[in-house]
Amino acid sequence: MATEVMEVGDYMRDPRKHHFSPYMDNGGTTVAIAGDDFVMVASDLRLSRGFNIFSREQSKIFGLTPKTMLASTGCWADVLTLNKVLQARLTMYSHEHHDVMSTTAVAQLLSTMLYWRRFFPYYVSNILVGLDEEGKGVVYHYDPVGHMEKLTYSAAGASVSQIQPLLDNQIDALNMKNVTPPKMTKELAHQLIHDAFISAAERDINTGDGVIIHTITKEGTSEEKIKLRRD
Amino acid sequence: MPDFSEIFSLQSILNYNGGCVVAMRGKNCVAIACDLRFGVQAQTISTDFERVFEVGPHLYIGLPGLATDTQTVFQRLQFRIKMYEMREGRRVKPRTLMAMVQNLLYERRFGPYFVEPVIAGLHPTTKEPYICALDLIGCECEPEDFVVSGTCSESLYGMCETTWREDMEPDDLFECISQSLVNAFDRDALSGWGAVVHVIEQDKVTTRYLKCRQD
Amino acid sequence: MALEALHGITRYHSKNEMLRDEMMIPDMENLSNQCQLAIPSIPKGEVNVGEYLVDETGRKIKLNYAHGTTTLGFKFDGGVIMAVDSRATSGQYIGSGNVKKIIEINPYLLGTMAGGAADCTYWERVLAKQCRIYELRNRERISVAAASKLLANMVYQYKGYGLSMGVMIAGWDKKGPGLYYVDNDGNRMPGNAFSVGSGSIYAYGVLDSGYSKDLSDAEAQELGRRAIYHATHRDAYSGGIVRVYHIKEDGWIKISEEDCKDLHYKYADEKSAFS
Repeated sequence: MATEVMEVGDYMRDPRKHHFSPYMDNGGTTVAIAGDDFVMVASDLRLSRGFNIFSREQSKIFGLTPKTMLASTGCWADVLTLNKVLQARLTMYSHEHHDVMSTTAVAQLLSTMLYWRRFFPYYVSNILVGLDEEGKGVVYHYDPVGHMEKLTYSAAGASVSQIQPLLDNQIDALNMKNVTPPKMTKELAHQLIHDAFISAAERDINTGDGVIIHTITKEGTSEEKIKLRRD
Repeated sequence: MPDFSEIFSLQSILNYNGGCVVAMRGKNCVAIACDLRFGVQAQTISTDFERVFEVGPHLYIGLPGLATDTQTVFQRLQFRIKMYEMREGRRVKPRTLMAMVQNLLYERRFGPYFVEPVIAGLHPTTKEPYICALDLIGCECEPEDFVVSGTCSESLYGMCETTWREDMEPDDLFECISQSLVNAFDRDALSGWGAVVHVIEQDKVTTRYLKCRQD
Repeated sequence: MALEALHGITRYHSKNEMLRDEMMIPDMENLSNQCQLAIPSIPKGEVNVGEYLVDETGRKIKLNYAHGTTTLGFKFDGGVIMAVDSRATSGQYIGSGNVKKIIEINPYLLGTMAGGAADCTYWERVLAKQCRIYELRNRERISVAAASKLLANMVYQYKGYGLSMGVMIAGWDKKGPGLYYVDNDGNRMPGNAFSVGSGSIYAYGVLDSGYSKDLSDAEAQELGRRAIYHATHRDAYSGGIVRVYHIKEDGWIKISEEDCKDLHYKYADEKSAFS
């Protein structure tokens, strides 16, 4: 922020009204792709504010239960608070029920929690991923006030408009004649996520530095880091 | 009744009528494509508004932006091109056209035409492919791969960045530019409703109209 | 706290209470009472919140509101037809092309969605719960009039806070087919035909020209479908899939879900075959 040059003493000027701006855009992009027996979720590692980079090592993915993960971008303060509150709710649930919450239940809980703050929203774009009761991969996409949509793939955050059309084309085979949508495999999902982030980092200053990819299967979770351009 | 007027609020005059243009370089060929929507904010007025124009053999210019300026800039440009060709006795070259557009736009530096032109063509003698994009006051950008302009430029960047490869043959270039354009504007409310693609080769120009979503 | 412990008084009744207290987790009242939402503690006008969010640089922050929409509903001799598009936009970006804008409240009641997507889904979900409780208490189904009034009263509580919804509640009760329009201002009115959303002006044109009480079921369904299709063609903020539902005496049935692209070329073929 530019420093204001004071020409006259502050006390000599007319009173001015200062507004409190509670929101900040910290960039970051997330992508999730679900398959029949897995779900893959990825985020870039850059945390920024305008032209400044705060961190090149900040994953935006949070593990909630052994089968559920949350990828959040937007205002980082809100991301952290929302996660803290959600984690606590999940702990309380496990104390009460002696069981972890199912992915579908977490999905609805998150929607209700976001709507709780309808008049002073968390500025967060969320993607919730996990395995459902049958072990199938699911992706839930949220708007900041808790509108929820169940999908098989989704992008969110700063580079959503760069990545989403690509996924529409490559996964749903939209606008391709005589092409049936491919069966989603881990290899294909990995390749798409990799390509999408390389393109996004090329054109968007709020995305870059690296990608972290988490894979959830019924055997457990695994993670991998890939480097991206750092300029 | 909820107030729907908010979505009609003007973000930028460049988005008032909608529309987008993309151009790509291939091996000894170039392609330029645009959507066909002419709208007034949310309302679609017509779906046969071409914003890419032929201005010479193997030379095309796309003028996305405010539709009235699309027409005015094209007409004034055509006048200057004709004057140039009469005076010089030869056809205009791609880079010369770019300079003419720069001049035309910078003359209105403080009250600009709201168009962001894209030029694609082959050099009349060397047949060297040429693509270029300019901003609304005439700052040029001449990259090696592709240029985009219009209401869904972010989506176009995302699509082109992943689908473009070096040295594409005309057929591959057509497939690449069509998929990039159509999938990009399918995520944009203000452009779409049909598309036209010109593939410019040394000996011919192929113009194709694409079957697209109409919503 | 030490004194409490000395006297053997446990401050917390459960581990969860302790956890919530120590981590300063807000008690989200809407998890137990859905009508209770957080009210900002900072005075209005001091904070840049309201219709849309603004960040520190003064830029508007996109909310994925399903602002642009076309929905319609009409009564006729054969029941009620409801038809909607499926596009959700934030600004000019199409956030989703596959939103379910008809909300299935129960087998006899449907609600539509126009305005804020989260507002509509949240309050109609609360309404679904209220309707079920009514059924259990009164051993009979709730009337359309009562259901729509429950919704209108709930959103009236938050009048002026910036909720954005224009919905239709339709169903079949003792009085026969019912259709009500409810919005965030607290308006609630019965009617024969409504259309809500940015594409409603186009849908009304088709609906009014083809509407009559004595349409056959197939004609009525096609009228709804055509009205929405024409709206998606002209309105930039409507599109995707056209969904048509029909409510009869024994509840609602889903008639069709067709892609606008297929519909457009089907209608174009019909037109060229005719001329």
